[in-house]
Amino acid sequence: MLSIMANPGRRYCDGVSRRGFLKIGGLSFGAGGLTLADLYRAEAGMAAGNPRGSSHKSVINIFLAGGPPHQDMWDIKTEAPSEIRGEFSPIKTNVSGIEICEVFPRLAQMADKAAFIRSVVGCSGGHDAVQCLTGWKPNDLRSIGGRPAIGAAVSKLFGPVDPSVPPNIGLAAPTQHKPWSDSGTHGFLSTAHAAFKPDGPGMKNMTLNGITLERLSDRRALLNEIDTLRRDIDISGAMEGMDAFGQRALDVLTSSKLIDALDLSKEDPKIVERYGDGKPYQYQYDGAPTCNDHLLMARRLIEAGARVVSLSYGRWDSHGKNFDLVRDHGGKLDQCLSALIEDLDQRGMLDDVTIAVWGEFGRTPKINAGAGRDHWTRVSCAYLAGGGMRTGQVIGATNRLGEEPTERPVDMQEVVATLYHNLGIDTATTTIPDPTGRPQYLVDRDPIRELI
Amino acid sequence: MNTERVTDGLVFVASRFVQVRGGPARIRSAGAFLWHAAALTWVIAGGMSHGDAWGTDSVDSSANSGGPALAFDHRQEDLELRGRDARLQLIVSRSDTSGNVTDATREVTYTVDPDGIVEVSQEGFVTPLADGACTIVAESAEGTRVATSLVVADMTANPPLSFPGQIVPIFTKLSCNGGGCHGKAAGQNGFKLSLLGFEPREDYRHLIDESRGRRISPAIPDRSLLLLKATNASPHGGGQRLQVDSHEYRMLRRWIAQGMPYGNGDEPTVVSIEVFPPHRRLSPSSRQQLSVVATYSDGSREDVTRGAVYESNDPEMAEVNARGLVELQEFVGDVAVMARFQGQVAVFRADIPLTSTSTLAGEASQMEFPEPRNIVDELVFKKLASLRIPASPPCDDATYLRRVTLDIAGRLPTLQEAQAFASDGSPDKRARWVDHLLDSFDHAQYFANKWNAILKNRRQRGELHLSTMAFHDWIQQSIYSNQPYDQFVRDIITASGSVASNPPVAWYQQVNDVNQRVEDAAQLFLGQRIQCARCHHHPYEKWSRSDYAQMAAFFTTVTKKADGDPAEPDYVTRVAAAQLPDPKTGKPLPPAGLDAPPVTPRPGEDPRVQLADWMTDPSNPYFARAIANRYWKHFMGRGLIEPEDDLRVTNPPSNPELLDALADTLVKSGYDLKALIRMITVSKAYALDSQPMERNLGDRRSYSRFYPKRLQAEVLLDAVDQVTGTPTRFAGMPQNVRAVSLPDTEFDSYFLDVFGRPDSTTACECERSQDANLTQSLHLLNSEQMQNKLSDDGGRAAALAADPSRTDQQKVEELFQIALSREPADEEMKAMVSYLSRKEDSRKAYEDLIWSLINSKEFLFNH
Repeated sequence: MLSIMANPGRRYCDGVSRRGFLKIGGLSFGAGGLTLADLYRAEAGMAAGNPRGSSHKSVINIFLAGGPPHQDMWDIKTEAPSEIRGEFSPIKTNVSGIEICEVFPRLAQMADKAAFIRSVVGCSGGHDAVQCLTGWKPNDLRSIGGRPAIGAAVSKLFGPVDPSVPPNIGLAAPTQHKPWSDSGTHGFLSTAHAAFKPDGPGMKNMTLNGITLERLSDRRALLNEIDTLRRDIDISGAMEGMDAFGQRALDVLTSSKLIDALDLSKEDPKIVERYGDGKPYQYQYDGAPTCNDHLLMARRLIEAGARVVSLSYGRWDSHGKNFDLVRDHGGKLDQCLSALIEDLDQRGMLDDVTIAVWGEFGRTPKINAGAGRDHWTRVSCAYLAGGGMRTGQVIGATNRLGEEPTERPVDMQEVVATLYHNLGIDTATTTIPDPTGRPQYLVDRDPIRELI
Repeated sequence: MNTERVTDGLVFVASRFVQVRGGPARIRSAGAFLWHAAALTWVIAGGMSHGDAWGTDSVDSSANSGGPALAFDHRQEDLELRGRDARLQLIVSRSDTSGNVTDATREVTYTVDPDGIVEVSQEGFVTPLADGACTIVAESAEGTRVATSLVVADMTANPPLSFPGQIVPIFTKLSCNGGGCHGKAAGQNGFKLSLLGFEPREDYRHLIDESRGRRISPAIPDRSLLLLKATNASPHGGGQRLQVDSHEYRMLRRWIAQGMPYGNGDEPTVVSIEVFPPHRRLSPSSRQQLSVVATYSDGSREDVTRGAVYESNDPEMAEVNARGLVELQEFVGDVAVMARFQGQVAVFRADIPLTSTSTLAGEASQMEFPEPRNIVDELVFKKLASLRIPASPPCDDATYLRRVTLDIAGRLPTLQEAQAFASDGSPDKRARWVDHLLDSFDHAQYFANKWNAILKNRRQRGELHLSTMAFHDWIQQSIYSNQPYDQFVRDIITASGSVASNPPVAWYQQVNDVNQRVEDAAQLFLGQRIQCARCHHHPYEKWSRSDYAQMAAFFTTVTKKADGDPAEPDYVTRVAAAQLPDPKTGKPLPPAGLDAPPVTPRPGEDPRVQLADWMTDPSNPYFARAIANRYWKHFMGRGLIEPEDDLRVTNPPSNPELLDALADTLVKSGYDLKALIRMITVSKAYALDSQPMERNLGDRRSYSRFYPKRLQAEVLLDAVDQVTGTPTRFAGMPQNVRAVSLPDTEFDSYFLDVFGRPDSTTACECERSQDANLTQSLHLLNSEQMQNKLSDDGGRAAALAADPSRTDQQKVEELFQIALSREPADEEMKAMVSYLSRKEDSRKAYEDLIWSLINSKEFLFNH
């Protein structure tokens, strides 16, 4: 296999040489992004009492579908004329000198745990999540399947933390405008690395279908009597893998961490209440609901072993009634996002979990006749928290009218590079071979140096 | 070593790191220090031909008087190290009385007489210290000694270093110009180098001219940002790449102190590199130090062992470090290690026999192999004999029937076929069955499925159009009628007109730009991955951007008719000169095949016809080998070259003779693919058991037994349907359509997705995933789909339970025949019958029986 590596001889970014393991391959949408090597490793880790929860690095990528108005979020343009400035006033935060929009009072009180990027650039202008999920424009490497999303790449590179919990999970509910519920493509990687979606058939296969547990163990006993072919005769290792995964599948069917993680009735009701429910859902017609539960599920999934959870929150395409929409969506986001950060912090997980909250582009400075704002690709914004970053700062600035960056433009790919960095991946040296054998870097740009 | 090289080389001597010299003048000056061969019983490969360099690695055993002998690589006599930058990797070999040669480079103790001329590390690495001559003695633990002499000269000279010749290779070795660092298109943190140093002029400009002196400080070289960053003294994103005062550091520093000479442009360039030894037989888990010598355009030679970059073609077999030390793993077989320096490549190949220390001839003659049936057997068994790996016994008829039916027709044998085959007593029944399968439409469907995916034939924008169906049908018909392979490729490459009149035109519709077309054509039909050379010189091949442009030029006159129906476009060839600009000079380049002279356009003829002529010419070195390897892999589970479509010089076949023979037979047969399949599948090598013997379990690439393969997604679904008696319906298709015969890979099926069906977006078969995973296990063990198939009212379990005319034994026997094409063993029969008798609900019990058969490895694999 071709590889032009910055560091010849080092094949795995986690430093583990997998030579000793037979390569059995990647996982699947279901439970598992895993190779047999990963399975052994994960099980060895568990056997060694390696506590999960805060022990692995992870990302919660919250997509504000439709493009949130950057000037009504973290960068209120108080000096702009009224046809641009809009209805909101800034409020002080717990970091002196940082002010954000008044609809986010709870987040304002934890601004020390966040970084507000006011100068995101590089938006391609499409109404889709591709750049937020991969760092690349949708057409990049399209002829071989496109660029893999962060979750797919991490699934490929690291495999799962827990063998029965997929490393890459997409929670976005189906939307009428499909690109807004994208959980990230596997791109040129095998479909095995695509995001696991709790509404797909993979989920149904994790609970018994039409038979009892007793009958399953009868079947299994019968299988053991006839399944006598030596597994070591297969040089590809797939036979050994089938045996190992078959055993693991039975474990999953008797008790599933994944099913439990998605079941909020198993959560402390006080915590559920703290996140809120985001209801009534408004402004939703072809986009995602403001489903606050998804943020809580994301935390539970990460505790269970997920590495990347992607979700779509609300529909921010405010061509009309921009301010009403921000008041609605913003207030709900303020509640659940602040709850998530507080929750992770209290559990000692905040340094290991990076939260990104952003959309596909910004919105026009000039307010239109319907009190809305239209598409604006010259600048956008992003909210980052956790991940051990140097938080409590604002990065970049826009001009008086919020039209374009005046300081430190941050390319969308730099945000994705930062997420990779926080996951423990050196983007300067890590490559994944594409189907032509060419080693592909995950992103071309470096992580945001102010944050790491 | 001949005198010509010396004369030529002397001109340039001083600016090379190492000059490896021979010839009269040098021998005279070094003669006094030579070891006295006549007085010693061991030998420095004195009997070898100097003329053909180092094509052989045996030691002249006639001089051995018993016991192991040591030898320096014979090139390392009368060596001269010129200049302070010279370096030399010694290779010391040990040979035993049976002629086995092993590496002793790191096992001997080196002493130098007199002191102070050179330093020799424990790794056998020589660095010069002062002008003079010396003798290096290597002594093994058991006291065997060998000596060689060496002259060091010009240690105080300070010739100008050359940027492209000596500085750029350092950037490559340290990976500064790798694709993840400064070599990427945008550079890194404002500093850009060309990928792998193929554009030294640009690199020089970026380093010197564009940085306003920031990167280089000629007055205080050590303060140059280049050195501070590389040593991480100034924080460097890439970390420390360079040790202060290392060899490379001193060279960079001196180059800066010299005022950063670029070189006058007429420095000799590297014309080839050679790796020593080129080939060895080694034991599993042993080590071999390599040495790499570059030859320059002026004939001078230089040891570049530590300047070269290495890569193993199979890291599970062997790893190699930056110093050229190869460390084998525990497997037997063969492996290749590539060395690369200044755009040149060379390969070290190792055969790793099961036991390399015992007598070669003695043991090979004791090994027994079946009488070869054809050339496949001859060459497979020859290789096994040479590696001393025993072959497993032949498989039984039932296993063969299932194996060959799955491999040729992509389906299980039916109950009737299994019974008929078992009762047929004629000696040629296997060959006749192969012919029967090859003539069947099932075969055409199965192989059309294979080709369809890599030809990327799939629906666009969600709807299955006529063009996809027509092209799929055309492929099927081509295989069914056994169209000669060269004609099949020619029809695709030269396709013109509309899909309706000429279905292969669909390939142009699917693969819709010049780059994709030339890259797909090269990978599919020639096994050449030239896409690298679109943007930069291929790192592991000789292909340059010009080579790419010339190949692509064949496709430049293809165009879509403007007034055609967008859903059914018409492709035509414009009347124009097929050419593309040279990526460097901008001058138009005429079309040319890889490594072939440019073609002269024939007036009025489509240039693609000339491309097809070149590709399918019997003398084309890639065409027949690529397809032979692809088909070999399909049946034997592993390509002679892996990946099967990556036929690089640096990725040699595991059995070159066999690949040549397959390709040769194919050409001679007029590209008859069915004949190729027949030759492989009737061979005894194909019909070996998959069960290992005690001593061939470790074999992963020499075909000492049949390597099992998991059934591919479509075949597995069809097999499950057959065993459960419940056909799967596909949207928009008639009933009872097999999954392998679907016209593209876009039909909605969770089962097919989970088991690795490809998306048909690349020309690579690797897109199909044969990996095991948890989702597959969950789906087979527990899905609603499987449970529905098992419990279907019209399914097999219901039918068996409702049939009072036969005994449980008879029914179990039938189930085994249907699922596994064999009779159950006694214990299996007992287990099944007892299960049935324990269960009250007979239908459910049969469901459970079928479930367990489907979930067995024997069912899931072709073994």
